[in-house]
Amino acid sequence: MSEQILLRARAVIKKYGSFTAVAGVDLDVRAGSVHSVIGPNGAGKTTLFHVLTGVVPITGGTVHVDGQDISRLPGHQRVRRGLARSFQVTSLFQNLSVRENLRVAAQGRAPWDVLRMWPLPGRADDAVGVVDGLLARFRLEQVMDRPAGLLSHGQQRRLEVAMAMAARPRLIFLDEPTSGMGVDDIQEMKQLILELRQEGYAVLLVEHNMDIVMGVSDVITVMQSGRVLVEGRPDTIRNDARVREAYLGSMLTGGR
Amino acid sequence: MKGYRHSLFVALFLLLLPLGMKSGSLATELVIYAMAACACNLLLGYTGLMSFGQGIFFGVGSYAAGLLLLHLGSSLAFTLAGCMAAGACVAALVGWFSIRQRGIYFVMLTLAFAQMFYFMAYSMKEITGGDNGLLGIQRPDVTLLGHEVLDTSDPWAYYAVAACVFLVVFTLLQRLAESRFGHTLLAIRDNEARAAAVGYDVKAFKLLAFVVSGAVTGLAGGLHAMLAGIAPLSNIEYHVSEMILLITVVGGTGSFLASVIGAAVYVVTADWLASFWPRWLMLFGFLLIAVALYVRQGLWGVLQDVSARLQAWRTARAAPSSAPERHPGRQA
Amino acid sequence: MNLYLLQLVNGIGLGMIYFVLAVGLSIIFGLLRFVNFSHGAFFLLGAYGCYQLVQMGVDFWWTLLLGPLIVGVLAWLIEVFLFRKVYHFPHEIHILITVGLAMVAQEAVILYWGPVGANVSPPELLQGVVVWDSFIYPKYRLFVIGAGLALALVLGLLLEGTRLGAIVRAGSESTEMISLLGVNIQRVFAAVFALGAATAALAGVLAAPIRGVDPFMGVEVLGIAFVAVVVGGMGSFAGALAGGLLVGIVQSMMSSIWPPGASLMIYVAMALVLLLRPNGLLGRA
Repeated sequence: MSEQILLRARAVIKKYGSFTAVAGVDLDVRAGSVHSVIGPNGAGKTTLFHVLTGVVPITGGTVHVDGQDISRLPGHQRVRRGLARSFQVTSLFQNLSVRENLRVAAQGRAPWDVLRMWPLPGRADDAVGVVDGLLARFRLEQVMDRPAGLLSHGQQRRLEVAMAMAARPRLIFLDEPTSGMGVDDIQEMKQLILELRQEGYAVLLVEHNMDIVMGVSDVITVMQSGRVLVEGRPDTIRNDARVREAYLGSMLTGGR
Repeated sequence: MKGYRHSLFVALFLLLLPLGMKSGSLATELVIYAMAACACNLLLGYTGLMSFGQGIFFGVGSYAAGLLLLHLGSSLAFTLAGCMAAGACVAALVGWFSIRQRGIYFVMLTLAFAQMFYFMAYSMKEITGGDNGLLGIQRPDVTLLGHEVLDTSDPWAYYAVAACVFLVVFTLLQRLAESRFGHTLLAIRDNEARAAAVGYDVKAFKLLAFVVSGAVTGLAGGLHAMLAGIAPLSNIEYHVSEMILLITVVGGTGSFLASVIGAAVYVVTADWLASFWPRWLMLFGFLLIAVALYVRQGLWGVLQDVSARLQAWRTARAAPSSAPERHPGRQA
Repeated sequence: MNLYLLQLVNGIGLGMIYFVLAVGLSIIFGLLRFVNFSHGAFFLLGAYGCYQLVQMGVDFWWTLLLGPLIVGVLAWLIEVFLFRKVYHFPHEIHILITVGLAMVAQEAVILYWGPVGANVSPPELLQGVVVWDSFIYPKYRLFVIGAGLALALVLGLLLEGTRLGAIVRAGSESTEMISLLGVNIQRVFAAVFALGAATAALAGVLAAPIRGVDPFMGVEVLGIAFVAVVVGGMGSFAGALAGGLLVGIVQSMMSSIWPPGASLMIYVAMALVLLLRPNGLLGRA
């Protein structure tokens, strides 16, 4: 596991009016590691996620990626810095084919290249290699010309993650990737996350499925009421009394 | 390439139109409205933006043509370029304000801006002629290097000019739609949040589409001013915005060809109905409601449906055991 | 008397009419999430209803009641037989349907009453001016201000003090929640829609003696309603009041300072407000 810190968040604060959703969070994510953020509902995990990915503006604190301050950078520009995210509720381009979904996502790394009207998107495209690779890896070749809206749920979730990878990020944010999945699909997703770690990606994961969290994480950050309760390796977290209390015991004994 | 097939079809249509239309003026009007509808479709069908402000650009294009011809005696090419530039500039302004909002707030803003520009045109009498509009606009002839190539005073000669301009615009728009830029717009229409998440500056892309739409609509307005010889206040009224949107919706948002169909239906039907019932607009109101309720894909959708069923019937007859596939909507 | 004071008071009167117009639009969107581009048509029908009734010899006072009532019933029927089926459609479809309806209404008005328009006289009691020191002012316009304030009070009490009002306010937050609480959503929607249309019609009746009636007033007034709602903040009762008053005052003041630009300045003011406060003056984020 590389020691290189890809993302460094310090004293992140997010307020909505008078309500403080995130009240000063520090977070380090290293390359080639899986970092999970867990916590009871309302802990602020999703808000933290949104601040780090640029979906909502930060109220206070800093976020650095590769030493560069991206705290106030709009979400769409963070893609160029190597960040990518998947959505909790499947969010695809419904009317575009699977292939086109991936191509558009891959293009997002250099979005203004689309203003070059020639050539038309097709075989002779720099993103093609990336797209073909993703189609193979996520077993979507069979359906590559089908509109994304017509895929099965499991296929859509796979496409979700594939799109996050299309822009060749260094850090991938996965927002409850196993949400609504069946048992087989969950195992597949677990395997995928491990592969990503192997290949040197940094993965930041928000999850409720403790089976996955305990099984893939290198570091777990537990949040409660907008702050970090405790952070450490899965074993440490599993045995921590404070965490157990925070969850009222029920969730740490196994999967959902 | 699907696009070239459509362009060929439009070229054929434009060639054959004089056989079916009773006057060159009416045919030119059809072409003008088809152009405006295509521009509106770029926003509605491709980017997912419903703009009630297309009349602004149409009117601005008209005024631009009028002013350039009356004060500068400009050539045809220069005038057309001027209309496009005017349309583009105003679209950039209106778009910048409106695109900061989304959904229905965007729609409401475009309507409010439509009213604003109407009142602006009304009150700036020295420039626009106010209520009277700009009168006595001379239609410039087609010149090449100073020599007159075509005398446009004949209605059919002017139709030829308008038709050529439209064919070029149509082909370019089709090209744009099939380009990576066009696919980005489609992605934005489908899912803005996702488009932003994968790295696209959604507002900037919308603005770009808006500017292109404004330029093309301005061009249509300019052609109209040269057709009628006047740039009236009514060209910038809310009614024009309404009509352009109606034509686009009734024709269908599935392709630019649909907009041509919508314009054709509108111009021909309106001309026919107006001769015996002055309140024909009421029928279009009902038509709009019917399309919105039952045939959301517009006439184009109906045609596609019919052709798909025809194909299925033919395939079933040829090989009773085969099952044809139907792909819904527009794919990329 | 001071011209600017006169125009200010005129502006308040006009603003009251715009408030009555805008509040229906705002509440209909707030609760029903329904975009109603035929709101101007209800205004139009209210105004013409008033005109027709007065032509038939009915007392103006009665038209204040009958106009909104007739339009309210019409709106209720449209809601039950048409709109109810399309609530779940995307907003764009709502817009198209209501634009179509507005078109039909406008053409129907021209069909029956002609394209030219007409004047409506205020009732005898309200004709003439009120004289108080140097303050000389048309009685009818004072009445409009009073009526607007009264309506604001009534609506405010309705929203804050009654069960229906509570349902509307809660429903603007979440319709799922209130239907789970056992409220008959369908009837509430129909009632609110009818009420919204009726207030637009009332605005039309109030406006008729001031500006007369013409078939195109529906379109003109739709834009103004949008401005009032956008400026004041969508879904906000106080916003409709603030927006309406602002529009009315700007329009009136400008009609003395730069008459041809009076209507234009409404929209310029809107653009300015939106630059500084994109959610409107009193809008929710």
